[in-house]
Amino acid sequence: MTLFASEVVGGFAGTLVLTTMTRSASELGLTRVDLPFLLGTAVTENRRKAKAFGYCLHFALGVAFALAYGAFFDTIGWSSWWLGALIGAVQALFTGTVLVNVLLPIVHPRMGTPDTAANEVTLLEPPGFLMLNYGRNAFLVSLTGHILYGAIVGWVIRL
Amino acid sequence: MRIDGYAGIEDYALIGDGRAAALVARDGSIDWMCLPNLDSPSVFAALLDVNGGAFVVQPDVPFESSRRYLPDTNILETTFRTDAGVVRLIDAMTLPDGRLAPMRELVRSLEAVSGRVPMRWRFAPRFDYGSSAPRFETRAGVPVAVYRTEALALRHWDAGTPTYRDGGIEGRFECGDGARSMFALATAYGEPLVLPSRADAEDRLQRTARFWQTWAGGLQYGGPWADAVRRSALVLKLLIFAPSGAAAAAPTTSLPEDIGGERNWDYRFCWIRDSNFMIEALIRLGCWDEARSLFWWFMQATAITEPRLHVLYRLDGGVGFSEQTLPLAGYRGSHPVHLGNSAVDQTQLDIYGALFETAWLYSEGHHAIDTDTGVVLGRIADHVCDIWRRPDFGIWEVRNGPFQFTHSKVMCWVALDRAARLAARGELPRRHASRWRQDADAIRAFVEAHCWSEEIQSYTRAALGDGPPQLDASLLMLPLVGYGDPRGPRITGTIDAVVRMLRHGDFVYRYLVADGLSGQEGTFLNCSFWLASALARNGRVREASDLMGVLIGRANDVGLFAEEIDPHSGAFLGNFPQALVHLALVNAAVAIRDAA
Repeated sequence: MTLFASEVVGGFAGTLVLTTMTRSASELGLTRVDLPFLLGTAVTENRRKAKAFGYCLHFALGVAFALAYGAFFDTIGWSSWWLGALIGAVQALFTGTVLVNVLLPIVHPRMGTPDTAANEVTLLEPPGFLMLNYGRNAFLVSLTGHILYGAIVGWVIRL
Repeated sequence: MRIDGYAGIEDYALIGDGRAAALVARDGSIDWMCLPNLDSPSVFAALLDVNGGAFVVQPDVPFESSRRYLPDTNILETTFRTDAGVVRLIDAMTLPDGRLAPMRELVRSLEAVSGRVPMRWRFAPRFDYGSSAPRFETRAGVPVAVYRTEALALRHWDAGTPTYRDGGIEGRFECGDGARSMFALATAYGEPLVLPSRADAEDRLQRTARFWQTWAGGLQYGGPWADAVRRSALVLKLLIFAPSGAAAAAPTTSLPEDIGGERNWDYRFCWIRDSNFMIEALIRLGCWDEARSLFWWFMQATAITEPRLHVLYRLDGGVGFSEQTLPLAGYRGSHPVHLGNSAVDQTQLDIYGALFETAWLYSEGHHAIDTDTGVVLGRIADHVCDIWRRPDFGIWEVRNGPFQFTHSKVMCWVALDRAARLAARGELPRRHASRWRQDADAIRAFVEAHCWSEEIQSYTRAALGDGPPQLDASLLMLPLVGYGDPRGPRITGTIDAVVRMLRHGDFVYRYLVADGLSGQEGTFLNCSFWLASALARNGRVREASDLMGVLIGRANDVGLFAEEIDPHSGAFLGNFPQALVHLALVNAAVAIRDAA
């Protein structure tokens, strides 16, 4: 398998596990985090369509991140599942503190931000620091999911 | 007129920006403000402790004051009259305008109307519910109060030379000859301060006024008491927490229901049942965007715990909080002062009816319920079938329960009735619709058999036991949620019994039995408005109109209501201003208009 192919396969498989895990955690009442829903509602207000769009977008992002993982592994000349897991943990931290906490509310047309005032009406509450607005376990679920994602990507992309 | 340093609750007016809010006393003192959000720790808490921090701007000579909101805005105008002249103070929290602005901005603008009036001001914040005095610094000539990562910068123009004294900054100056002085309180939390220029602050104030006028101009209400309905809509808009769309029950904590007593609660949360009334009122007023936002928040907030619902949620949608006691003296010695609300742990069955009534109203308002939401609502309806027979703590969150409250049972009927109707429309799965209808019929049979008293010719507070039948003002909700014939003998008898046994003058007590807490409480204003609505539904429109007119006349000078009123003195009691009362006012006005 070429590097590119392994990145695509690893990214897809990792995202599959990550998405399944967060969805299961949501069904078990651990968190209200629903990344496909958050992404999809940037495109449409229809909840069902939003989830469909969101899943496609989430998988695309998962593959894109795997390409970045692959580039990093290629640069340092080696890879392993545990290095992937470590990068996944960093990615979860970045996601919880910057990506969905700061950047997503800014670009998401239907999401509130801490600066949203009475002259705006939003449909989605902002996730907050470490996504804690979506439940006390939200970050733990995200962290575990991203570690699994990174481990799978690191395991599939064997240099 | 203050008693022991405390203004009357009715002496306050609310300003805000949809994120934070402040209470301004008639004497020009801002005695309550939490930053950066409605439910954050306070920076001014003189409302609950004379040493809790305040921001005062007032004449330095004896004065009388009168107030109003600038027409169709949430901008407060206080006019001070003194022997030396007249000055006018404008208070507002400005709204962001897309340019670089402070995270939150409070503007106080003072204008001389006549004469030359000596003025004084004092800025004395106390962070974290009065527990921490700030460290004062001066940056670029601007006094800044600093506490951890929080900073409050007070820009002032034509307001004298500030001096530091007793943990605050104060100044004196003369306001006359058409002069205008101005203060802009800029706040920052975990980010750099933005120090506004006078021109920018004045421009934002003008834009804020225009926004409120435009928003109020879009309200769709034609009918009697239009001014009171518009004021209610404006105050309700301030209680909607814009970042999430949730609606706070009130912007305050622990204003007492009994002066000096323990009935003090934190209302800076979103109650499921209030959201039902809120969505109903928003739809009636044509505020579709706000109604839709609140419904989305509703469905997101309940996602973790469904099919079980919490009674209340944090404004950010979370449920993790517990009731704590704050080290504040309490309003006129009424302590404890609470942070958090332990009612979150109670079982209150009526909230399920509130949820489904909300969904029904939302659907009636031509907002289709999407498939995923319908599936969740279906699971919740199944849960109601499993739990409606249990006792609960009821709408009033009594502390000596649980009981088989009639209102709770009726609201479970509402839940299943609306679920079945939504299923018939195809907006909920139809798989269990027959079970929902059967259980709704079973609830009705239970209420009719066990919650009606021949002795007092009324539905009763709870299923009849060994004791005498008791009444509860929540029974006024029965005709309002469509239970029974609103003009039938049982509803008529219940309304008459409430008037006979719970009404005191123009006001209604919620009940007159023990509830597990010490002390007496006032009459609940929302119950009084419910009575007006119930009378209208019962066909007694003249009686309802007369009562409505009297009740609206009991608002404070700027049209706001607290949770309760002392029927003897007319003083306000409880948290202020309270959303539920203003919601009941709007819905009563609509009910009477429609009945007429």
